[in-house]
Amino acid sequence: MSSAEQTLGKTKNSPKQGPRGLTALANPSRFLALVRVALPIVTGIAVVLLAIGLYMGFSVPDDYQQGRTVRIMFVHVPSVWVAMMAYMVMVSAALGVLVWRHPLADVAARAAAPIGAAFTFLGLATGSIWGRPMWGTWWVWDARLTSFLVLLLIYLGLIALWRSIEEPAISARLAAVAILVGALNIPIIKFSVDWFTTLHQPASVTRLDGPAMADVFLHPLLIMGLAFAMIFFALHLAAMRNEILRRQIRTLQRKAARSARPQTTRSGGSVA
Amino acid sequence: MTDLFGERYFAFIASSYAVTSLVLMAMVVWVLVTYRSRQANLAKLEAAGVRRASKEAELRASKKERS
Repeated sequence: MSSAEQTLGKTKNSPKQGPRGLTALANPSRFLALVRVALPIVTGIAVVLLAIGLYMGFSVPDDYQQGRTVRIMFVHVPSVWVAMMAYMVMVSAALGVLVWRHPLADVAARAAAPIGAAFTFLGLATGSIWGRPMWGTWWVWDARLTSFLVLLLIYLGLIALWRSIEEPAISARLAAVAILVGALNIPIIKFSVDWFTTLHQPASVTRLDGPAMADVFLHPLLIMGLAFAMIFFALHLAAMRNEILRRQIRTLQRKAARSARPQTTRSGGSVA
Repeated sequence: MTDLFGERYFAFIASSYAVTSLVLMAMVVWVLVTYRSRQANLAKLEAAGVRRASKEAELRASKKERS
């Protein structure tokens, strides 16, 4: 062991040894230091993947049935994937709140909600724009479209829940329970095209017998999917940092308000 | 442009990419503007002498070291 390690108390079973893994990130300062390093890397990967994905997407030939509108798929499908992935991030954060009581779990869930809502909106909007020339309608109340609209309503409801309850510990637990209940909608979205008769096409990428899509369309789609996932992670890290700052400001404002209040004696008279 | 989006479905393809770009850009602007305003708020509070417990501990430790 080096003398530097001995000075820092980093012996094998030293009680001074710092926390590791997710426990270490419970310290907001440590998490903010991680964000400072990780955010530029994740953003850089997202930009490179997006550039490659867009280049590949705009180089594909026209589809024999859909013509050039197949290019809408490269923004519609990744938006839908990320909208559902964001919800699964919130589900794991909700478990972090209820089971492990990790201090950053509620921060992670709360930061993911508006981003997930934005990707859900994108999925609905681009799907509707794609549906008009292909199906002849902007919207139908079928199982896939309706369950995906419900996802947007769940996101908006959760954001409203967080904003309406002042006490952070109570809002965190209530939102975590609501997130877990709302998670029932995710398999409904995924399997709605198998369980119900819908206008929407069945799954063509995530199938047991492999993707039913030509490689020329599949590869740019997967690259765009990765790019959108990286965009989500970059935005999520930045939004988590903002949420931590919001909580620090709130704590300082309360501290300032407490110190500004005149001290009172037991009989109620002011001593200051 | 018509080569990228086609002539027949130009409006549909272009508008789907436009709405995607707008929403993504809006999210980027949202996180950046929020970050800057919160950092400014935090700096204002700290300038007024209101500090977090961890910062106060750091200050106390550095004062102790100096003395």
